[in-house]
Amino acid sequence: MSKRLKTFWGRFLIFLAVMGPGIITGSVDNDAGGITTYSVAGALYGYKLLWTLIPAFIILVVVQEMNARMGIVTGKGLADLIRENFGVKITFLIFIGLVIADIGNTATEFAGVAGSMMVFGISKYLSVPIAAIAVWILVVKGNYKTAERIFMLFSFCLLSYIISAISAKPDWNMVRAGFLEPQMHFNKDYLGIVLGIIGTTVAPWMQFYMQSSVIEKGLKIKQYKYSVWDVIIGCTATVVVAFFIIIACAATLHKNGIVINEAKDAALALKPFAGAFASQVFAFGLFVASIFSATILPLATAFYVCEAFGFEAGINKRLDEAPQFYTLFTSIMAIAIIIILIPNAPLIAITIWTQIINAMLLPVVLISMLIMVNNPGIMGEYTNKKFQNIVGWSTTVILITLTAMLVISPLISRFFK
Amino acid sequence: MINQEKIGMMNTDITQMFIYFSQLMDKPVLDKNGEKLGEIYDIVVKPSEVYPQSTLLVIRTGFPKHKYAVIHWPDIQEIDNKEFNLKIDKSKIIFAEKHNNKEELTLRRDILDQQVVDTYQHKVIRVNDIHLLWVDHALMVAHVDISTKGLIRRLGCEKIVNTLIKLVNKNASYLKKEYLISWKHIQPLSINPVSMTIKVDVPSKQFSAIPAADLGEIFLDLNIKHQIALFKSLDINTKARIFINIDFKTQRSLIEELENKEIAEILSSIPSDEAADFLEKLPSEKTTQLLSIMESKYSKKLSELLGYSSDSAGGLMTAEYMAFTKDTTVESALKQIKERTFKVEPAQFVYIIDEGHHLVGSTNFRRLILADPQAPIQKSAFPKAYFVHLDSSVKEVAYLMEKYKYYAIPVVDAGNVLQGIITVDDILSQVIAIAWRRLKKIKVLPKQ
Repeated sequence: MSKRLKTFWGRFLIFLAVMGPGIITGSVDNDAGGITTYSVAGALYGYKLLWTLIPAFIILVVVQEMNARMGIVTGKGLADLIRENFGVKITFLIFIGLVIADIGNTATEFAGVAGSMMVFGISKYLSVPIAAIAVWILVVKGNYKTAERIFMLFSFCLLSYIISAISAKPDWNMVRAGFLEPQMHFNKDYLGIVLGIIGTTVAPWMQFYMQSSVIEKGLKIKQYKYSVWDVIIGCTATVVVAFFIIIACAATLHKNGIVINEAKDAALALKPFAGAFASQVFAFGLFVASIFSATILPLATAFYVCEAFGFEAGINKRLDEAPQFYTLFTSIMAIAIIIILIPNAPLIAITIWTQIINAMLLPVVLISMLIMVNNPGIMGEYTNKKFQNIVGWSTTVILITLTAMLVISPLISRFFK
Repeated sequence: MINQEKIGMMNTDITQMFIYFSQLMDKPVLDKNGEKLGEIYDIVVKPSEVYPQSTLLVIRTGFPKHKYAVIHWPDIQEIDNKEFNLKIDKSKIIFAEKHNNKEELTLRRDILDQQVVDTYQHKVIRVNDIHLLWVDHALMVAHVDISTKGLIRRLGCEKIVNTLIKLVNKNASYLKKEYLISWKHIQPLSINPVSMTIKVDVPSKQFSAIPAADLGEIFLDLNIKHQIALFKSLDINTKARIFINIDFKTQRSLIEELENKEIAEILSSIPSDEAADFLEKLPSEKTTQLLSIMESKYSKKLSELLGYSSDSAGGLMTAEYMAFTKDTTVESALKQIKERTFKVEPAQFVYIIDEGHHLVGSTNFRRLILADPQAPIQKSAFPKAYFVHLDSSVKEVAYLMEKYKYYAIPVVDAGNVLQGIITVDDILSQVIAIAWRRLKKIKVLPKQ
């Protein structure tokens, strides 16, 4: 073997050992809420919104790189760092928001499970409890290694959207135009969906998740550049999946003028245009994504809260060793499931309010992150470079503006109609 | 919960002597003319005593660009929980962008909200508040508060919560009790940025009282930076005890931060079978490097151990044992036993060898004590010496040990030369693993 090939393989092996956190985070990102947003965007505007994925990608990479770096350099979770540097009050505020938002998010995930199973003709009163029990067993009885492997497998299942999209026979010329030639329309609906796409890709709890999984992997500063590649690949996967969901919906629903409200509607509506197979593949993707996120979200939330407030946490602890942890985990699951199983639950309102809380939380988390990542007392020589700060702060400012508009615009339209 | 001292229900005099750090934080500081200088930001303490005493006060002013000033404790005129009054004039105080007390221990930066080790209950805990005591015009760190009550106090809603709880249950235990942990059991973990070790001298005495298994668990609860800093601050015995009680992943991430010399020192201080187990899992280059800098006799022993398959007698054995040539007198053998130090408590067996290190017999402490001190050690030997070979299986070893009720059994090579011994704890963990698998197979145990 030539020397160059040898070092290539050596590097590749290191990369395989390091990868995981970014790719899994990227996949959890395409949860039921994300798939709904992309489907609605594709159905309403066709290929025109594909360009939004470019800024979404940049923001995602910048934010997650910071998390990976903070995790590697400090060895501490984001929750730990916030508590240690900003005290109890700010931590409490962030976590009240995080818990409420994540109950809403988890409810949305179970709605995704219910919706996708309805496509296969299974009632939600059957699918949701079974899914919930499966998730609970996986978390409480399983171990992290198995879970991580299952999750990696899940990540590959998300590629099923590519099949759905190709079966829908899209117009590739228009795809190229929509992706590379951005169009901005300043009306409320268009702006709203642009914000929705960017907002759904950068959810606050993901930052906590990303940083913890880097620590869980025990990554060192030597492996930092491989970790950056992991982040980039994870973010690419997120965006690729989003790209094909939009295409699938644009090529079928938009072309035929069908309006949808939920991801499930998209799966059902695909059937007459792209065939039963494409519809089922779409529903399967939704199911996998939902159950994937429904596993991680309540667990992660319970973990961060306990981390920040100094309670014992972790799935390797017994119930009597970590009562707060298990209580929180189980309550988040239970509340989410009850919300879904109530007949005529206001699901759309729940989704909107969850998005609003997420949107208010995100700037707080981002600003805390930027303050800490620039503090040499915490980061040593690995503080942000000028370029990273420019991108980081402008991302934050843009996101704050966007999310403020996202929060305010539905309120304005509600009161001033 | 013996340790959590209940200091509720005290008379008012004593309560006035104690104050929580959260009640002082951000309180105004006035100069001698009553002019406001800023707020209390942090307190620097001298950690040398059992209960650290305040030495400097850090005050902060300005928003959003903070400025800091450091005040020596003797310059403080009067303290109460509303404000601090200084003896000196405003003009004498210099504010700067930063306060440079990086190497010192401060309450807000290094203790409040941080993780510390509770060496009494063997846990890693997070500090919600700090309980201070007024003594001779200064403050002393008396306890840390890790309770939910502390969290609620920090949130500033202690009164509301108390009122609410009173409405529900007037005699609720929450209202009366305060759960505090005495400072003498607390080991802070803040890292000195210059030496990269733990700021406060780690009292190895406290750590040595913690059972090794608990010590390993505490260690695993820490994040990697604290693990490294704490490890570097410990003495070699505690290091060794921690090292053998943590998993390989943590061991490896730890040695990545250490010099080869330090690693060799640790490996020389842990039982040779543990050292060999660890070296076996490292890349062969690193193993060779480490072996080359160790003391030659010990590294030879280790490289031999490394050569054996892990489920054979050779792989299980340790090279720490006591052997005497057969002519040694009982008296001199006993003397040497008393003088020698061991990394682990050895089983109470003593082996008897000839000039060529061939195993000729075995005896134990009891037999030696009872024997005539002037007689050669050979006289105290068991009637027959049992042993296993380097390639004997786990089962054979277990069978022999059970049959003759030995706590340890010698291992010899093909030429009957003594190589090492296998102790009962090494064989037990192997046998339990085998038994467990088998029981599961025949479904005696409920499936997990």
